Amino acid sequence: MNVIELKQLTKTYRVYQKKEGLVASLRGLFQREYRDVNAVRGIDLTVAKGEFVAFLGPNGAGKTTTLKLLSGVINPTSGTAQVLGYVPWERKNAYRRRFALVMGQKNQLWWDLPANESYRLHQQIYRIEPAKFERTLDELTDLLSVRELLRQPVRELSLGERMKMELIAALLHSPEVLFLDEPTIGLDVIAQHNVRQFLKQYQLERQTTILLTSHYMKDVAALCERVVVIAHGQVEYDGSLAGILDRFSGHKIVTLAFTENQMPPDLTLFGEILEVIPPKAKLRIDRNVVAKKLASLLSHYSVEDVSVEDPPLEDVIADVFSRAARSKEA
Amino acid sequence: MYVRAHTWWTILRIALEERLVYRGDFALGTLMRFLPIITQIFLWWAIFESIGGGSAEKVEIANFTFPDMVAYYLLTMVGRAFSSMPGLASGVARQIRDGEIKKFLIQPVDMVGFLMLSRIAHKLAYYSVATLPFALVFYLCRGYFSAGWPDPLTLAAFIASLILGFLLGFFLETSIGLIGFWFLEVSSLLFVYMLFSFFLSGHMFPLDMLPEPWNLLVDLLPLKYLAYFPAAVFLGKVSQDELMLQLGIQVAWILFFIFLSRYLWKRGVRRYSGFGG
Amino acid sequence: MSEQQPVLIRVFLTFARNSLVREMTFRTNFFIQCVASISWTLMNLGFYLIIFHHLNHKPLADGSGWQQNEFFVFLATTWIVFSIVQAFFMPNVQEFSELIRTGNLDFVLLKPIDTQFLISFAKVDWSALVNFVMGILLLTVGVWRLTTQSNNPLLLNPANVLLYWFYVACGVTILYSLMISLAATSIWLGRNQSLYDFWFYITNFSRYPMEIYARSWGWSLWGLFTFVIPILIVVNVPARILARPLRPEGPWLGLSLSGFTILATFACLVISRRVFTLALQSYRSASS
Repeated sequence: MNVIELKQLTKTYRVYQKKEGLVASLRGLFQREYRDVNAVRGIDLTVAKGEFVAFLGPNGAGKTTTLKLLSGVINPTSGTAQVLGYVPWERKNAYRRRFALVMGQKNQLWWDLPANESYRLHQQIYRIEPAKFERTLDELTDLLSVRELLRQPVRELSLGERMKMELIAALLHSPEVLFLDEPTIGLDVIAQHNVRQFLKQYQLERQTTILLTSHYMKDVAALCERVVVIAHGQVEYDGSLAGILDRFSGHKIVTLAFTENQMPPDLTLFGEILEVIPPKAKLRIDRNVVAKKLASLLSHYSVEDVSVEDPPLEDVIADVFSRAARSKEA
Repeated sequence: MYVRAHTWWTILRIALEERLVYRGDFALGTLMRFLPIITQIFLWWAIFESIGGGSAEKVEIANFTFPDMVAYYLLTMVGRAFSSMPGLASGVARQIRDGEIKKFLIQPVDMVGFLMLSRIAHKLAYYSVATLPFALVFYLCRGYFSAGWPDPLTLAAFIASLILGFLLGFFLETSIGLIGFWFLEVSSLLFVYMLFSFFLSGHMFPLDMLPEPWNLLVDLLPLKYLAYFPAAVFLGKVSQDELMLQLGIQVAWILFFIFLSRYLWKRGVRRYSGFGG
Repeated sequence: MSEQQPVLIRVFLTFARNSLVREMTFRTNFFIQCVASISWTLMNLGFYLIIFHHLNHKPLADGSGWQQNEFFVFLATTWIVFSIVQAFFMPNVQEFSELIRTGNLDFVLLKPIDTQFLISFAKVDWSALVNFVMGILLLTVGVWRLTTQSNNPLLLNPANVLLYWFYVACGVTILYSLMISLAATSIWLGRNQSLYDFWFYITNFSRYPMEIYARSWGWSLWGLFTFVIPILIVVNVPARILARPLRPEGPWLGLSLSGFTILATFACLVISRRVFTLALQSYRSASS
């Protein structure tokens, strides 16, 4: 049974040139200049229960818009979506009780009050049974080590601490589906690591279906097996992370350390030179010819050390995006 | 000297531009400000009519006829246009609190003078655009000015009282703001001042209507010059001999507040520097 | 497992409690607001005392029956109705516009509870209830004087008192409906300070007895603010029911007005709900 199903989901915004002031706004009711922004163009997607899927894409790709559509916050222009059997934008209470959305750097907790008070409100709105509520709260605060922070006003907490409190708020009602929009953005390295660890463990235990959008490769690599690359409102790739490298990266990075003064005169014969700091050299070599070039190098020159690596994931992804952008303009 | 003048001109120009960007919204906002006058017109009409047992004609309250009353309200709007200083006191207090006044201590620019200039600039900018809505309203209500335009001397006194009202309002609010050197939360004091000034400046009703001994008390306060006095002058409620006396007292009040603000500034700066940093 | 809908009363009480806790952390501010409110009501009262001093036992409008004591009831009703709106709805309506602007309305839309309820009751401005207390005080003074005056004393019967509070509730509901509709338009029109000024200037008309508009071009205002934007009935109807000033037209006008008020309350509620739902559909959220 598929937990999430999207068919040709489309969202187009008509953006009007807005002007300030009451009179201009009133006049704007009669004649306006506008342009259409296709935020999401016909996305098809199915997600099964317990999957941890990452949405990867450049800014403005439509990742956040898709999450908002799935949360029922906005209405689509066309297409259908079903989450847990509900149509999200009908915003039925029964649906809203079963999922959660967390947005990075955005707060839903009451600013001046301790997180505790916001959680109590949560309990009443979601009608969580008191015993269950206490248990879940205890578990989550222990997992995230924030017990002492519960009574502190939210505005006094650091960004990382606030994010943890937001996560707790989202998980108090034990949602079956979790949408995370850039949850680690703006956090320091340690906080990012903690959040990642937490999510990994939580998902393993509860088998929650999670959709995550992120800019950070580390998030994606640590948490998700399945990656959906979205660019310009469309799905460019849907598969495993390793698969991206296979599909999109045409090169390998070869680092060579030559014996003293034995550097070949012209390295460009073997591949594109990335960096040369004698006695080391870094080359970019086409995948299909790596073995051949390497064999040639090793047989003709004295090489102390060799390493063959995939290019950084970020570079590959960035390449995918720019290629998608170019094909869009074509 | 030339640099000074050039600076002043720049301030004026920027303030003007700022205002004009929001022209339309602005004109509408200004017109909306006259809406409460409509309810006042009906209220007083009903009151005068009730006193007159069915007709408002020939009825007088404290020497004001019904048309006088409406004219009075419109004129207080003009008076307030000159004497109200929105954000002045709180701005001064804020600058003290945030330490922004440091720049005035270092540079050879007099803070009070600078503030006055920005104020003048803002008022000029504001009212150059607001003149049209004001004129429109006054034209529509010209029937209420039963005595028409006053004689040249009274008119001159009226204009003088408006300008003096500006000065009085400015130095009074600046003084309140300068108390920020000693009390961090001037806003509470300001709130109380605003409420009382609304009542005691004649903005709500002509001060002649106050029964004894209140009217004598209010007469002693400088607040009446902010709204009541110019309106009363225009409508001829102030006799010729009274006129000179009152203008004189107004000038005296202005001088008082000028000295007060100077004094507060000097003492305040001394206290402030005493804290170091 | 049966899921239950949230108990709205409980949720509201939590909102009220949270707001109180928050306001108490800014104690001086709270105190200042209270002092300001009291000063304002005293000045308001002072203004009318001066007017009645000059009226010298005549009513506020010729033949309207609004003598000083009756008018105390009217003025008190103004304070009561507006203080309730100020305390329970004003902060929420302002917050609504902010939520739309920042895109934080998203979080509201995620909660399994009626969105309009959540928006309308989330915050309570407790300091605004000072005016409510002042209103009750003035009301008591007015009613006491009316029932004990030698000339034609008021016969107070419990039904009238109950009806009074019923119509106060109607008045509050009408004002609320107008406010929420106005705030909802900011989804289409964007943020606008002028909208709030507009609200203030329009509701200003409702703070006076209807009779003052009953002359020449005032009739158009009377009609506009009774039948199109029914703010005139908000204070007038409950005040009349309690103070029962003399009316030459007899009781029929009173009855039809009261009946109309119920109709208007219902219509306003329905219309505002419609506007609200429609606005939500056009909600765009903020860009990330």
